[in-house]
Amino acid sequence: MHGQQPASGDAAKGTSLRSEFADDPDMREIVEFFVNDLSTRIDAIRAAFDTDDRSRLKTLAHQLKGAAGGYGFPTIGFAAADVERELIAAEADIAAIDDKVDELLRLCRAALAPRS
Amino acid sequence: MESTTNNIGSERLPRLLAIDDSELIHKILRVRLQHEQLELHSAMSGADGLRLAKELRPEIILLDIELGDMEGFAVLQALKADAETRDIAVIFISAFSEPVDRVRGLDLGAVDFITKPFEVIELTARVRSILRLQSAMNMLAVKAQIDGLTGLWNRKYFDSRLESEFAESKRHGRPLSLIMADIDKFKSLNDGYGHPFGDLVLERFAKLLSSGRVSDVPCRYGGEEFGIIVPSGTVEEAREVADRLRERLANERWPRHEDLRVTASFGVADISCIESSMLPRAMVEAADRALYAAKHGGRNRVETAPPIVTAPLRKSA
Repeated sequence: MHGQQPASGDAAKGTSLRSEFADDPDMREIVEFFVNDLSTRIDAIRAAFDTDDRSRLKTLAHQLKGAAGGYGFPTIGFAAADVERELIAAEADIAAIDDKVDELLRLCRAALAPRS
Repeated sequence: MESTTNNIGSERLPRLLAIDDSELIHKILRVRLQHEQLELHSAMSGADGLRLAKELRPEIILLDIELGDMEGFAVLQALKADAETRDIAVIFISAFSEPVDRVRGLDLGAVDFITKPFEVIELTARVRSILRLQSAMNMLAVKAQIDGLTGLWNRKYFDSRLESEFAESKRHGRPLSLIMADIDKFKSLNDGYGHPFGDLVLERFAKLLSSGRVSDVPCRYGGEEFGIIVPSGTVEEAREVADRLRERLANERWPRHEDLRVTASFGVADISCIESSMLPRAMVEAADRALYAAKHGGRNRVETAPPIVTAPLRKSA
């Protein structure tokens, strides 16, 4: 059995991020699906950011905002909400939200990291 | 209300249709709602959702506000604009949590609003509460159309059903018949044997009426008068139905009154008995005239309204 620290605590320390539902037998399978799918999403977010594709980036962030919490990764959901909010609010150039996107990507990677 | 009997039986599992453009959300819903007594269906776009809503007639729709092809609000408006889907309970789901969106959704006729990510217990509790409310409303809607004493459809249902069958019959050019039946000398039965006996007669006659063909629609028209709608039935078929009923009632044995015979008179009319421009009401009147002819002819008999013979109206060339 793994430790029962909240997922956000792990994330803050930069270690791996574990789903809140990792031990829920109903959820295990789809949490795995979500985590596997995340690597594709990380690439897509990176690509949208690099090509300055604001609307694509907004869609990707929006989807994560709605879904991540449901898979037991609320911090990813909040980070995605931050990115979306900045994109809606700021007409400024996409580089200005660099740190928000980085934070989102960092959390996504943390969820991908192999759990010890 | 299009069912031909007033049984609330033959129930299927309630259907829930989720309309969301993210497969991630559908996956969560399938897992989170798997233990509910529900049949779950998914649509990935607004257009698909509208099509499935018409096809499946779900009890509940979970509708995402931000869909790829159209806004959830537009889907809701389309659902509400269509009589076939208007009564489906729509719950908005959205990662938007702005009050202005929630208010807009509720104003357009959504029954509830759930924010993503879902709190599992909240989601299931809201779905359950809506299903409970719906089943209570359905029961009331059915009850409001059932006669308390006989369990037959009541006059209100009779009127609306006759109107819709009348329209169907005209549209598809198929026959439609109506039988009006009235228990003979009911007042003297009531006076002579007491009201409880009168009620027993009504109940038994109602039972005879509903033991017939399932496609026939027996209704209590009022007092001791009954109307039986015979969809797609010709006047000859309706006449046979009426005569069987007449005979069965006349042969009925009554408790403590072995020698008593209770009879009824019947009037039959079909759609050819009235002018094509007339309203369904005219069919009732035609059947009623035939019924009174049966009464005057000595009761315990079936009379048929004469068809209207009209030369086809043609403009001369």
